[in-house]
Amino acid sequence: MMTIGLTHYLVLGAVFFCAGLFTMMTKRNAIGILIGVELVLNSANINLVAFDRYLGPGRLDGQITAAFVIVLAAAEAALAVGICINLYKNLATVDVDMAAQLRG
Amino acid sequence: MNSSRFLTDFSPELILLVGACLTLLVGLRRGSPSRAWESAMGLLVILAALFAAVALGLPKAAEPALGLWPTPLTFYVRGITLLVGTLLVLVGWHQPAAEERGEYVAMLLFSLLGVLLTASANDWVVLFFTIELVSVPTYVLIALSRLDPRASEASVKYFFLGALAAAILAYGLSFLYGATGTTTIHQAASEGVISSLPAGRMLSGTALIGLLLTFAGLAFKIAAVPFHVYAPDVYEGAASPITGLLGFVPKFAGFVALVKLLAACQWELPREVLWVLWSVAAVTMTAGNVVALLQTNVKRMLAYSSIAHTGYMLVALLVGPTSGEGPMRDGVVALLFYIAVYAIMNLGVFAFLTGLRIGQRDAETLDDIAGVAARAPAATLGMAVCAFSLMGLPPTAGFLGKLYVFSSAFSVPASHDFHGPLLALAILGVVNSAIGAAYYLRIVAVAYMGKEVEPAAPAGGAPVRIGLTLCTLPVLLIFAWPTGLMLHARQASTAVRDSITAGRTRVTTVQPWDAGGPSPLRADSGGEPRPRTRAGGTAAATPVARDAHDTTRAQP
Repeated sequence: MMTIGLTHYLVLGAVFFCAGLFTMMTKRNAIGILIGVELVLNSANINLVAFDRYLGPGRLDGQITAAFVIVLAAAEAALAVGICINLYKNLATVDVDMAAQLRG
Repeated sequence: MNSSRFLTDFSPELILLVGACLTLLVGLRRGSPSRAWESAMGLLVILAALFAAVALGLPKAAEPALGLWPTPLTFYVRGITLLVGTLLVLVGWHQPAAEERGEYVAMLLFSLLGVLLTASANDWVVLFFTIELVSVPTYVLIALSRLDPRASEASVKYFFLGALAAAILAYGLSFLYGATGTTTIHQAASEGVISSLPAGRMLSGTALIGLLLTFAGLAFKIAAVPFHVYAPDVYEGAASPITGLLGFVPKFAGFVALVKLLAACQWELPREVLWVLWSVAAVTMTAGNVVALLQTNVKRMLAYSSIAHTGYMLVALLVGPTSGEGPMRDGVVALLFYIAVYAIMNLGVFAFLTGLRIGQRDAETLDDIAGVAARAPAATLGMAVCAFSLMGLPPTAGFLGKLYVFSSAFSVPASHDFHGPLLALAILGVVNSAIGAAYYLRIVAVAYMGKEVEPAAPAGGAPVRIGLTLCTLPVLLIFAWPTGLMLHARQASTAVRDSITAGRTRVTTVQPWDAGGPSPLRADSGGEPRPRTRAGGTAAATPVARDAHDTTRAQP
């Protein structure tokens, strides 16, 4: 049976990272883009916890960092909702393609 | 560090934090819309923090502290940030005109607090969070800055790209943690982001990925190509005082973080990474200047100008502190000097724009400022001085800034293995300064000789005029007397160089990295053997690491 090692977790993190980037690039809805950002942040969390487990047992640097990143993601989501409501008040939509006054 | 010592060492930061929270509370009060109590309060808080920073003086050379470690770099960053912070409050005194001024000033203070803490950060996690503390309030500031729908569009664009950059930064830092096994920066410096590998050896894959992703995340904050795309839209959408802030606060924090990152690598980057940075610097300054030539909106033009200036600063960053001492040789001195000067001269032009209104809108296009010299001669003169400084002409501080940046690149010793490319980059920078002169001259020429399209009325009142004066005078004074600023920049750079030397000594004292073995063991500070893998990428290393881990766990 194949054992699950550090590399597997790093690959999982990379998959999350790419999925997040892809989501950000293809979604037109502001909330959809936010989900993409959260995926990228979670790829960092997977890495942090995996490195912590395999490289620094006994120390919790990576896990604590991951906890902090989760807090940051929550704070950012709150701000994102505020900014989306602000956009909705101005444009009556949260489709970011509609926000295209600034060009040049 | 005991707690009372901590409170003293970080009194400027604590004053800003408490002041920002109080300003938020005061902002809740309903009152007449013309009041500017919050702005006055913000100014007082910043001056109090500045007083505390000066009273503290240069931080004592203490043992490296975990988390936050004040160094002479902190002192420099505190001084410059708080001085420019007072100008930012003055220029944005009556902005926004609505009920949100309390939040506005508080967010400004939080953002400045982030820059101050970035300079002290001695841990990747702290660094990541301080960078976020700089950025997150700026998203709010843009949305609050004016009622124009373009401001909300700009805040959406800035927020999503900024959040992506933050996420990439976190992902990159997770790899740096994986490569070094520590989140503490000064330990990472000795445990080898790169350094423990003898010169010429390949960098571990983990560290390389980590470095490049971290650069990408920070490149967004400093608006370097290809992460600059947001800058023109955001600069145009936000109100002028906030645009002035965006040209300084995130850039300064980003460059301080880059200095810390490169110092952790002991300014010895592998050639591939150097070439990546070289190309970024070359493309950033060229694209910024060339596209700026095509703009008719002054704010967009200054956005591209800001991108170009990032390119010049990257030249100084690439030179680094190791090639020699003194302003003409030391890249970090040149960088720190340049960014302070850039902040003031850039803000001067935005203060000029803030002080003008065309009917109900803010002045922002070339047509808006055409022939404005006849109506506002003093303000136009101030703007012209700042524009000449951005161009890099004597007798302005911008000239000295460019002189130091390019001479630091020219004086790189021939033994430096990146000597030739750095020289080419400096020449490209000089050519670019000449291209850049064209569009700055256009702003000045239009303001003095253009034909008025719509009459501009003065706006903003005394605070904005004082702000513009306080931007213009230093630009001239620093040229006449650069030693004051230079002295502090040199002290900051010396601290960076010392940290590099200290990192090198630690590297030679720790057990050298056994390149042959897949997971060399190294004694940790706790005395317990800690297994390490080379790079996460090699599958062969993984089971060994896990086995070692299990045996470690089995110990009582």
